[in-house]
Amino acid sequence: MEKLNVTVNGKFMSVDVDPELCLADFLRDRLFLTGTKIGCGKGECGACTVIMDGKAVTSCIIPVMRAEGSVIETIEGVSDGDKLHPIQEEFINKGAIQCGFCTPGMIMSSKALLDRNNDPTADEVKEALGGNICRCTGYVKIEEAVMSAAERMRNGETSK
Amino acid sequence: MKYVIAQSAEEALKALKDAEGRGTIIAGGTDVMVELHEGERTAEVLVDITKAADLRGIRIDGKEIVIGSAATLSEIASDPIVRQYYPSLCKGTGSVGSLQIRNTGTLVGNIVTAQPAADGAMSVAPLNPVIVVRTFDGEKRLKISDMYVGFGKTALDTSKELVTEIRIPVPEKDEKASFVRLELRKSLSLPMLNAAAMVKYSENKVVWARITMGPVGVGPTRAAAAEEWLKGKELTEENMAEAGRLALKDANPRSNPLRGSREYREHSLPIIIRRVLEDIKAQF
Repeated sequence: MEKLNVTVNGKFMSVDVDPELCLADFLRDRLFLTGTKIGCGKGECGACTVIMDGKAVTSCIIPVMRAEGSVIETIEGVSDGDKLHPIQEEFINKGAIQCGFCTPGMIMSSKALLDRNNDPTADEVKEALGGNICRCTGYVKIEEAVMSAAERMRNGETSK
Repeated sequence: MKYVIAQSAEEALKALKDAEGRGTIIAGGTDVMVELHEGERTAEVLVDITKAADLRGIRIDGKEIVIGSAATLSEIASDPIVRQYYPSLCKGTGSVGSLQIRNTGTLVGNIVTAQPAADGAMSVAPLNPVIVVRTFDGEKRLKISDMYVGFGKTALDTSKELVTEIRIPVPEKDEKASFVRLELRKSLSLPMLNAAAMVKYSENKVVWARITMGPVGVGPTRAAAAEEWLKGKELTEENMAEAGRLALKDANPRSNPLRGSREYREHSLPIIIRRVLEDIKAQF
């Protein structure tokens, strides 16, 4: 066991962890933040995407100790209680969700993009979401949702 | 398993030494983690170098661009120094995996995993980089061709050795580089073929050319016959096409069920080489 100091969704914690865990397992099995999904387990599908120190990363291939001293955001930290984030609302409004398994990862990749650039081009959206695979909707509605959320964020909307 | 977060190169080497051969360096970990998980690799001690200040960052040192071994592919792809001198290196490092992978993976890792079609490694290969390696006894400086001993096999012993940085000469005004990939899809897919080149071009004559290509051998493979033939010639459509055909002399592509048969790759390679040269010519 090793000591890990990390901030998850705004909450600082100092916990003993097994260093063999990946970050996704730690989030799901220790913190019960099961919104983060594990698809391929190889960093190839993007379902486990979380934001670490402002950057989208695939948490299934991040050793948990890499999170030492970092700030992590997961899908559970995106809304403010029942008030959804504009990205979440636009995924619903545009019908960018079917089975929902890829959605948390899609939303975290989108948020990592829009937090630093709320006026992205279509190419920038595609680059940001290129590492997230969806087998249901296709990608057109997802891209539309991100664009529409970007517009709302430009107008100052957030969940908080 | 023990996880050591090294704060410097010195600390990383000490941790390796203490592990007595049972440790390994981990940078981005995008390959190491998968290999550990699938049982293809074992390590009792992982030595994480991502927080080592002296291994991070990208800087100019005299007439060299220095890229730290902990610099991520995303950092390199968006770095103003790299963009100014070698846009092709931004393109190559920006083509690896996906944004999430590039946010953690490193260029040095892309070389050390020794895959023959690695886009980052391919784009840096013709730039004449020097790879600086620290060992327990001192330091050695390797060329990119020294880094590969087989398919997926690095010359480096990551239980004893640590790459600290890559040093790339700043190009002269008459030297330009390029990187091209033939791809099925942009993200999360190795290319069917990729190639890179750097050419010194003076008074409409090739002074020298370095052309690398993959996956057509072990690591980025030099198109030696094409390079030699191009010397002293103008980059005309005809000459660039001929160089493409000559590249086949040094290429030995294998068939891959996903990324193209040997025949397809042999048919396409001359076109990819020609495109790399066309892109270079367009920069003069």
